[in-house]
Amino acid sequence: MAAPLTFNGIHSSPTAPVDWDRMAARARSMRRSKAVALYAFLIAVSLPIILPYFWLVTIAFSARTGVADTVVLWRSVAVLAPAVIAFWLAAVLARNRRQLWLGLTAIALAATAAFAWLVGPDLHLRNFIFLVEPDFASVVRSRVGAVHGAIQFPSVWRAFGNSLLIAGSQTIVVLTVASLAAYYLSRFQFPARAAMLRSLLILHAFPVLTLIVPMFLMLYWIGLLDTLFGVICVLVAFELPFAIFIMKGFFDAVPWDIEMSALTDGASRRQAFLLVVLPQVRNGLLAVAVFTFIRGWEEYIFVFTFLIRNTNWTMSLYMYYVRDDVMGVDYGVVSAVGVFYLVPSLILYVAAQRYLMQMSIGGVKG
Amino acid sequence: MAKVEFRHVVKRFGDVEVIPDLNLTIEDGEFVALLGPSGCGKSTSLFILAGIYLPSGGELLFDGRVVNEVEAKDRNVGIVFQSYALYPHMTVRDNVLFPLRFKRMPREEALARVAAAGNLVQVTELLDRRPGELSGGQQQRVALARALVKEPQLLLLDEPLSNLDATLRLTMRTEIKSLQKKLGVTTVLVTHDQIEATTMADRIICLRAGRIEQIGQPDDLYRRPQSLFIAGFIGSPPINMISGEARDGVMCVGSVVFPFEGAPGAVTVGLRPEHLRFTGSGLSGRIAQLEPMGREILYVVDTVAGYLRVLEHGSIAAHAVGEPVRIGFSPDDSLVFDTACQTLVAAARVGPPA
Repeated sequence: MAAPLTFNGIHSSPTAPVDWDRMAARARSMRRSKAVALYAFLIAVSLPIILPYFWLVTIAFSARTGVADTVVLWRSVAVLAPAVIAFWLAAVLARNRRQLWLGLTAIALAATAAFAWLVGPDLHLRNFIFLVEPDFASVVRSRVGAVHGAIQFPSVWRAFGNSLLIAGSQTIVVLTVASLAAYYLSRFQFPARAAMLRSLLILHAFPVLTLIVPMFLMLYWIGLLDTLFGVICVLVAFELPFAIFIMKGFFDAVPWDIEMSALTDGASRRQAFLLVVLPQVRNGLLAVAVFTFIRGWEEYIFVFTFLIRNTNWTMSLYMYYVRDDVMGVDYGVVSAVGVFYLVPSLILYVAAQRYLMQMSIGGVKG
Repeated sequence: MAKVEFRHVVKRFGDVEVIPDLNLTIEDGEFVALLGPSGCGKSTSLFILAGIYLPSGGELLFDGRVVNEVEAKDRNVGIVFQSYALYPHMTVRDNVLFPLRFKRMPREEALARVAAAGNLVQVTELLDRRPGELSGGQQQRVALARALVKEPQLLLLDEPLSNLDATLRLTMRTEIKSLQKKLGVTTVLVTHDQIEATTMADRIICLRAGRIEQIGQPDDLYRRPQSLFIAGFIGSPPINMISGEARDGVMCVGSVVFPFEGAPGAVTVGLRPEHLRFTGSGLSGRIAQLEPMGREILYVVDTVAGYLRVLEHGSIAAHAVGEPVRIGFSPDDSLVFDTACQTLVAAARVGPPA
């Protein structure tokens, strides 16, 4: 007698009955161990990013001039780590929404109380002195008796404004040029179109550092060295290729029909672009805007090389010189400047997060 | 409303000649269907009409005036796309209002016309919604309203029903047809679906590889197809084709001899499934398959001449699979084509074998 055939065509032995329960248990434990491994991996890769931020924020609000005190760090870890674990456990164990909210509220209250008791007395805002006192370096130095040799700092608001100006105008120029160029690349056939697309990517492939010296000389000859305008031009030039490429993906995803329809409805090409096509790529515009702005906000190499006068300093240069000047004395102030520096990016990310989630390279919505 | 003329219109994309030489007149107020398989140049012709493509040669005339160079926005043509192409970021009202934004028109009048157009296609209660919240049929109506609101001189429909489900297709078919008759607007329908074309259009222009294969009333194309291509393309279930050799009053298919009337040579005989019937004499075969279609039953019969489809009225099968049958037909229903030049030989007839 032939052995029975399974649908795969594999002979299964008739003597060994299939133990479904054992197989189900094995599948269950596989699923669980996979989930555990995934979480462990995610925690492992995010810790090196989260820990420095944790250090930065805690130190910014607690460190005192001339005192290297790490106790407050350990205390906040002692409060936060159990709180996070308790939150997670509550989320896993809660059987319904009401239990979940009760649990979370209780943990939040307990954690807040513990935080106020253990860490609260150490918190202060004195490290943020730079926001009101331009010559804070001298003040900080005088606390430990070193009065002379402080760098002349401009007002931090001046640097903040410069950064805002660079990042903002870079964003506006990149958005305008990239959306027009990408639309043209997406919709029109012209000689050397493919070569142009390829060169867009190649332009992005070279390390920009290699171009620092020639760009410095060029800016010097043109007379744009040590001007914000010069830096904006350079940044725009470097950001454009990739922005165009991303925007082209978004324009490719807009169906031709809609545009043809607008044209037959009586719109001119320009009106069709502005009224019908552009609204379809809104998410792409937002994403490119956010990334370009943050690129300009965090820019360091070019501003460091091309800007000299301290009235032209951006936030990154300000941060650099603060670190240079008072790091040995007071890393609390350095951390405070860091916190101040990252607040705008944070606000921008949170505000635009909904749209960024819908972006992927090529503009296909995920 | 306009009379439209194509005079020796040519369209080339690079080296590819999509339309070699199109000559066609569409009368004022006529409902015409451009029918053909995909890639036959029917959509290209439509886009030439709309002004989206420039013809590479020849002349396009609206009411006797050449409009080759007139831009799409100035042609006053309404178009309904296969995808409907509604603007997703606007409400239905703004969608329908869109064509009026480019005409200098007081806002009250524009809104009144939007309301009238919405009323015409019954989307009044949907005006504040967005296209994404509408069903396919509703989107179709909105697209129609948008095409009609500017009172176009020419209405173009690009496969308007292909994205609808079967029942809705039937309703929209009737509605579009009656709307067109009511407004009297010259309408061009582009479709690859022969049912859509035959049910809606006054006249069908059958295209093949950019050339007009046949122009005629829907029943002309069905009853007197001028070529094998049309005979095969029009009709569902498709026509049966029997190839044979005609000489001396007979047509031979293998060993079977059909009585034949006409000039000798290689011929292909077309027989519609509904013209075949089971009789006591005729071509013998065996039922290979049954396809109940509700009102009718389609029998697939294995014969010497290949598989033949026979359509019989009634919903209960009179024959079982494997049963031997004989198939008869009237010589007047036979369509004889010259196999070499693929055209209809009007005088020739073929009868069933004895």
